[in-house]
Amino acid sequence: MNEMLEQVINRNDTWRGHRRSFRGHNISANSDCHNTQSLATGYATLDAQLQQGGWPLDSTIELLSDGCGLGAMGLFLSAMEHLSEQGRWQVFIAPPYIPYAPLLAARGIDTQQILLIHPKNRKDLLWATEQALRSTTCSAVFSWLGAQNYSYSELRKLQLAAASGDSLAVLFRPNQVSQQHAPSSLRLQMREYRKVHILKQRGGNHSIDVELPPADDVPQQPQLWDLPTWTASDRHSTAVGTPLPIA
Amino acid sequence: MSLWLCLRFEQLPLQCLSHCEQQPVVVLAAQRVVRANDCAAALGIRQDMGTATVRALAGNEPVRLLERDEQAEQRCLQQLCCWAYSITPTLHTYQSDCLQLEIGGSLNLFRGIDTLLAEVTSGIGSRGYEARYALAPTPKAAWLLSFAAQDTAMAMQQPLTERLNPLPLNLLQEFTTTVDSLRRAGLHTLGDVLALPPTALGRRCGKEFTHFLQQLLGQREDLQVDYHPPATFSDEYWYGYEVKTNDELLPAVQLLLQSLCRFLRNTQLQTGEINWQLIGIDHQVRDVCVRSASNHSDWENWYQLSTLRFSQVTLTDSVEGLALICEQLRPGQQDSIDLFSPRNQREPLTSLLDRLRSRLGLQAIEKVGCRDEHLPEFAVLISSDHPGNEHRSNEHCAQRPFWLMPQPKALRQQGKQLYWQGALDLVYGPERIEDNWWHEAVSRDYYVATDSGGQHYWVFRDRLGRQWYMHGVFE
Repeated sequence: MNEMLEQVINRNDTWRGHRRSFRGHNISANSDCHNTQSLATGYATLDAQLQQGGWPLDSTIELLSDGCGLGAMGLFLSAMEHLSEQGRWQVFIAPPYIPYAPLLAARGIDTQQILLIHPKNRKDLLWATEQALRSTTCSAVFSWLGAQNYSYSELRKLQLAAASGDSLAVLFRPNQVSQQHAPSSLRLQMREYRKVHILKQRGGNHSIDVELPPADDVPQQPQLWDLPTWTASDRHSTAVGTPLPIA
Repeated sequence: MSLWLCLRFEQLPLQCLSHCEQQPVVVLAAQRVVRANDCAAALGIRQDMGTATVRALAGNEPVRLLERDEQAEQRCLQQLCCWAYSITPTLHTYQSDCLQLEIGGSLNLFRGIDTLLAEVTSGIGSRGYEARYALAPTPKAAWLLSFAAQDTAMAMQQPLTERLNPLPLNLLQEFTTTVDSLRRAGLHTLGDVLALPPTALGRRCGKEFTHFLQQLLGQREDLQVDYHPPATFSDEYWYGYEVKTNDELLPAVQLLLQSLCRFLRNTQLQTGEINWQLIGIDHQVRDVCVRSASNHSDWENWYQLSTLRFSQVTLTDSVEGLALICEQLRPGQQDSIDLFSPRNQREPLTSLLDRLRSRLGLQAIEKVGCRDEHLPEFAVLISSDHPGNEHRSNEHCAQRPFWLMPQPKALRQQGKQLYWQGALDLVYGPERIEDNWWHEAVSRDYYVATDSGGQHYWVFRDRLGRQWYMHGVFE
């Protein structure tokens, strides 16, 4: 085969049609059948809507949200727990605050794998993200790109880096970029609490809302967002689980 | 059977001082020419000429006259030893300009004499030296044969005496008086002397001379102290011109690191820290330290880390030389990547850490750990190296946020309403946490609060200070 043509075909972001894709009924014609690395999200409703049945591991995932995230990070806790088994780094680049380690430990995530990276400027942030994605030593890379503007080519560089590896690559960006073009194969938006909006999905459904039912939460585990109902009677009850000070 | 390779660096006095081939260079000792390079030789400059003669021969052409530096010669010879240690562990220096390598034991390693000699040639060539080679069963014979024509010197299949016979006696400069008396008796070559009965020769020329001849022929043990590699590594590179940009440094960085890693491999050591010294024009030294989280001896890894580190250094003055010093050497430990791991991890975990630390600085990378503490801010341990995990997994952390603020932030309060980027409603609580009474008593009531957008926060009321704070964000 022509060498240049082969190079183009070997790139992950080149779509190739498959004969079986067109014959099939339930798979859309442009589905990315030749690469099916994925990781279950832990939410059946979300898995059903995602084209590979879970988080794609060969592409960046963009998660758009405002403020503190509306549970954005909670989406990945189950995946992080699975990835803990691999013993590789789980990298947080420019995180907004400190992840509360006892909670991660209670969810079965090995806190010793967590690396917090605080780049000083935008250039270092992109560099560190690309390094982490290119390196084969990370099982998950979470990067808070922040409200700054990123050109398509900068994001594409990250996308290519993610395509070369097998890590879960998540880029957190603000809501305002939802109208902009982005190379990620999956773009999600948190519009409401416990509701994910699929903005874009290569080869799959998009522009749909997915509810995350509490039934999918891991039983007997401290839940992040599923708070017990607080009745008026609780208001007057004494404090819960308080270690009494030695007088 | 042992086989010795003698490398005689005839031009060492010249080559340790200058590698210049464009300009006549002459090395002098006591105003006499010791060595001259090819350019100078083309002008007719020969050994033992006086300075005045050299100047006269050179005419208008500029000649560099260098004073012989025997210490520099010995340093070069030691560096060559360090390199030759990768070929054989049995080696020593001989005279002031020779290396004697016992290569009989290394032939299998190199799969034959030809590849071994090719390795030696390329090694010497890349260092800018020239050497005469000779092969013989004894070191002294190899040394003597290095003065013979190249084909005789390397013809190790021929009988030794046959190769030694035509060599002139005056090569034996240690025995000048003996050699002079032998020459007066009409004996001029080694063959003439070896033909004489040994006892008669011993009576005439003394014990030392006969011992030398016996060692030459392998009839007597020739014991020498083997070279031992030094305990620390240091090597330097001189550019010979002013370096003004960082990129120009890199070729030398690579060369020095390769030399370091060869040393480390030969001595089976590893290092976790290397020191670069940028030597300026005015001989001011600037130190650049490169650290790695793990010990290793892989030059490409060190090269990557060093380039990252150098990209942050701005050269204020131009640099003339680069030195690499490595003092913290530890016995090698191989940590290997799991061959059968289904994931395609191609490098050890620490290599990413090293790259990030080299560019972003040590403080920019943190790890988290758990601690058994009641106060949330003390329960998370943040440090740049390994935080211990003293956490008991069964601890109650039902209503704990994903994100914790390193420092609680005061909330704005208007009447009975709390504000944090908008109004907050308390939805759950309180949970009282009291601790630290022995030091600075803390008593807090924690609540879960939401804002209008549905985001959940973890806030508390400081019971002692009567003030509300924001402490975490739920995900």
